[in-house]
Amino acid sequence: MTAQLTHVAAPPDKPSNTDKRRKGANRGRRSNLLTVVMWMSVLYFILPLIWLFMSSTKSNGDLFTTFGLWFGNDFNLFANIHDVFTYQDGIYLRWTLNTVLYSTVSAVGATVLATMAGYAFAKYKFPGDKLMFAIILGAIMIPLTALAIPTYLLFSSAHLTNTPWAVILPSLVSPFGVFLMRVYAADAVPDSLMEAARVDGAGEQRIFWRVSLRLLGPGMVTVMLFTLVATWNNYFLPLIMLNSGKLLPLTVGLAQQQATSAAGGGAQALFSTVITGAFLSILPLVVVFLYLQRFWQTGLATGGVKG
Amino acid sequence: MRQGARRAAVAITSITAVAALTLAGCTADPGTSSTNGANPDSTGGASGQITDAEREAALNTPTDLTFWTWVPDIQEQVDLFEKEYPNIHVKVENVGQGLDHYSKVRTASKAGTGGPDVIQLEYQFISSFAQTGDLLDLTPYGAADIAGDYVPWVWKQVLSNDQILAIPQDSGPMGNLYREDIMTAAGVTEPPATWDDYKVAAEKVRANTDSYISNMAPGQGAGWLGLLWAAGVKPFGYDGDKTVTININSPEAKKVMAYWQDMIQNDLVSVDPDFNDEWYAGLNSGHYAGWLTAAWAPVFLSGAAADTSGKWRAAPLPQWDASKPASGNQGGSADAVLKTTKNPIAAYELAKWINNAQAPALLFSTKQNFFPTANSVLADPAFVDQKPEFYGGQQVNKLFAEISTTVDTDWQWLPFMEFAYSSGNDTFGAAVAAKGDLAAGLDDWQAALVDYAKQQGFTVNAG
Amino acid sequence: MNNAIKRKQNLVAYGFVLPFFAVFATMFIAPLAYSGYLSFYAHKLVGGVSFVGLGNYVRAFQDPAFLFGLGRTALILLIQVPIMLGFALFFALALDSGRARGSKAARLLIFLPFAVPGVVAVLMWGYLYGQNFGLTGQISRALGLPPANFLSDSLILFSIMNIITWAFVGYNMIIMYAALKSIPPELYEAAEIDGAGQFRLAWSVKIPMIRPAILLTVIFSVIGSFQIFNEPKLLVEISPTGIPQGFTPNFYAFNLAFVNQDLNYAAAIAFLLGFVIMIVSYVVQLSMQKKEVQS
Repeated sequence: MTAQLTHVAAPPDKPSNTDKRRKGANRGRRSNLLTVVMWMSVLYFILPLIWLFMSSTKSNGDLFTTFGLWFGNDFNLFANIHDVFTYQDGIYLRWTLNTVLYSTVSAVGATVLATMAGYAFAKYKFPGDKLMFAIILGAIMIPLTALAIPTYLLFSSAHLTNTPWAVILPSLVSPFGVFLMRVYAADAVPDSLMEAARVDGAGEQRIFWRVSLRLLGPGMVTVMLFTLVATWNNYFLPLIMLNSGKLLPLTVGLAQQQATSAAGGGAQALFSTVITGAFLSILPLVVVFLYLQRFWQTGLATGGVKG
Repeated sequence: MRQGARRAAVAITSITAVAALTLAGCTADPGTSSTNGANPDSTGGASGQITDAEREAALNTPTDLTFWTWVPDIQEQVDLFEKEYPNIHVKVENVGQGLDHYSKVRTASKAGTGGPDVIQLEYQFISSFAQTGDLLDLTPYGAADIAGDYVPWVWKQVLSNDQILAIPQDSGPMGNLYREDIMTAAGVTEPPATWDDYKVAAEKVRANTDSYISNMAPGQGAGWLGLLWAAGVKPFGYDGDKTVTININSPEAKKVMAYWQDMIQNDLVSVDPDFNDEWYAGLNSGHYAGWLTAAWAPVFLSGAAADTSGKWRAAPLPQWDASKPASGNQGGSADAVLKTTKNPIAAYELAKWINNAQAPALLFSTKQNFFPTANSVLADPAFVDQKPEFYGGQQVNKLFAEISTTVDTDWQWLPFMEFAYSSGNDTFGAAVAAKGDLAAGLDDWQAALVDYAKQQGFTVNAG
Repeated sequence: MNNAIKRKQNLVAYGFVLPFFAVFATMFIAPLAYSGYLSFYAHKLVGGVSFVGLGNYVRAFQDPAFLFGLGRTALILLIQVPIMLGFALFFALALDSGRARGSKAARLLIFLPFAVPGVVAVLMWGYLYGQNFGLTGQISRALGLPPANFLSDSLILFSIMNIITWAFVGYNMIIMYAALKSIPPELYEAAEIDGAGQFRLAWSVKIPMIRPAILLTVIFSVIGSFQIFNEPKLLVEISPTGIPQGFTPNFYAFNLAFVNQDLNYAAAIAFLLGFVIMIVSYVVQLSMQKKEVQS
């Protein structure tokens, strides 16, 4: 399933109520049963990741002969990492850079477009606004993957396939981003502030860039994150748009490397390289999410103090 | 005023949409007719040949070629080519194996640019790509001159409608590759001569070891067809134009599959999917004591199943009729040039040279253990007397050379093998995986193929 | 407000909206329209292109591959989505109740699979599901159970459902958890004074209060179920007969376009799929709006 719509966080100024509730009658009453059930479930979620790490430390031969959740006969992690980065003249690094390029450009572009549009829908009443917004809402329903083939056909006839634009342009459209920004802008940018600026003689454009944009920050971060993750993880679109090995993002590159390993033969049958490459590829997003976790916690805690 | 503004709003939406559509409409055609693009320096038509001067000029101009192939370690042959023609630089890319590779080739060919110049192309797919007009006719570049260098039935495979569409590389005569150590441990001292013997041997292997005498992968369409080929069945026909013959569920085919159904349902052979990590691990660990496959098999075993090197032996396939030895062919590739290439002369030279000059052509047999199609290599003592370490020193090439002479040379392919294999997986392959009724599986496959052929406008002879 | 200012504001507004709409039109409306246009034609290997009107759509409705694909998607909607959301809700409530030790760590770890790119998750589970040499096989044997073949034709659909569940429980849980956090404490105090236990609290107070969040996860999951492509594409190599061409409608469109060379029919399938998603999503969205109005 590729519904990568990250609903990142409740806006940080919503109060946290758990602390308050904990001060109530429940304080101190912990359920051992619940704890056990909880942690057995946690095991299910992290077991595959443990396997992934352990397998990254094994040589190709040990992969299938040693127990999956513990180390192999040698500690091969650094040798494997070396293989990952030297495979095919360092194409892994190229794939990583491509992924970063495609997702950041798409994220920034999508955010700019969505912010401007969402702001307009929230703060201005203009003829046709309801119709346009309804069209955009409708577009949320149709996921990018259903459009990928038609987009490919269109790009193919325009001779635009096999270029970075083939991946970036479709990712600039974020109807959900417009929806989010509309909701956020309606709340975060007070009409009174805008009126005051107008009274002072500021034009609408100036109001947007000088006044409103600052207030829209957290919402923009949300949209940026959502499109970043969506483009980072996108497999279908780059799979059909890109042919050259040098243009592939990590998703397609790793999958292709897996297929090459499976096809076997000679120096290509290195499952350990694929697995270590896969392990390395999850680190950036894990780190980003861990970092954001602190962001949420701070926001929620601050909310708790304020509330 | 409000009305005007509303009209403006609608206008913005529709104008951008219409503009985009018009742009698309101008460049789009509703069909996917293949590009019959003219090549900048192709001068020959049906009669014209390029001149020596043109050839020299092209080969001395700095050129970049892209070569899509999944042959492992082919860089060595390519290095020899670059040494021979220092002005030509070749980039070798592995974009996938089999269907993945072919779908990317089609995508690139349709796009017209950004595609490879030379591609690996198995014989079974030549007519499929000829039908869609993606391949460059090599006759104007001198391909007719090397016709005599190759085994006749293989050369016939690369021809279509008076065009030469590829240069043969290797072929895949089928044999019985087995692990001598496991077979001996099971009490099987001689490789089975007939299919009845094979069944007896399979029973011994199951009884005395943990292994299976062979694995019959459900999704390995080419392997199954190869077994039919060896039995003298001819399920497909194509006249090169509009008529196809489809007869995959003939009584002869069903007879062959009845044997395999019996083997599968009695758990004498396993039915695991092949070419994945589990399967390699199975080969490595001796879970499979043998593989009914083609001469190119060792190149796939020398990577992930390297530990077993030295324990394998080769023998002819078991026979239906011991007095009339026959074999089939599974796979084997040629190298073709796409019509969309910008450097047809250099591309042709690459495709030709690595498969025709003695040094690289011989290398395919000694390095990748391929079975060659070039007469000169077949006669070369370096090939004939080879004692590969993989087979523990057995002179396999002599064996495969003999096997090669028993391959039925009248076999034909359908011009839409990608669909044929894919639908084969969904019908016949599913029956194999379910250890069910293989005859019914063949019937389903037949129905799917006939449906598709009719729908695509072919005239169908359904035997 | 006088007309001149209004007009100026309208122009500014259009100016803000235009960039998005321009890209939207080219990247969204144009492909859809082009897809529709292509779908009215058919291309034959022998005979080329011809206009067939609604022929491709008629063909789709009689095509067992397409219909089975829709059927599988329906199965996923009816089985996998409720299970996944059920687990998400359970974990969200459990964490919110504060009754389990190490809630913060547990919350993070359950969410972790979402940070794993889909492609990597599928590749990983592909290895894990190996009957003989994969982790599931190893664990089964260690427990003395016969190892099940999760990649077999009969089990592959459920194996794929498992992958999806594994990847998305955490994400849905976080949405629900964030909603739970924003329930005002006064409601709890009243209930606790009445002596309500945690289960009662959850059932009568918490779940109804976060209904919008739950419905949001439902709609995302519905949309997601129609998008399934990565799993069949990446697993077809190790389960070639268990994953036919039409495993999901999305996968079918891909195969039609790139294996069967039937681009026009692929366009029809893609268009039809978009249409079905739109209808199903509108239905869910309408019921969501109705519920919001009611509450």
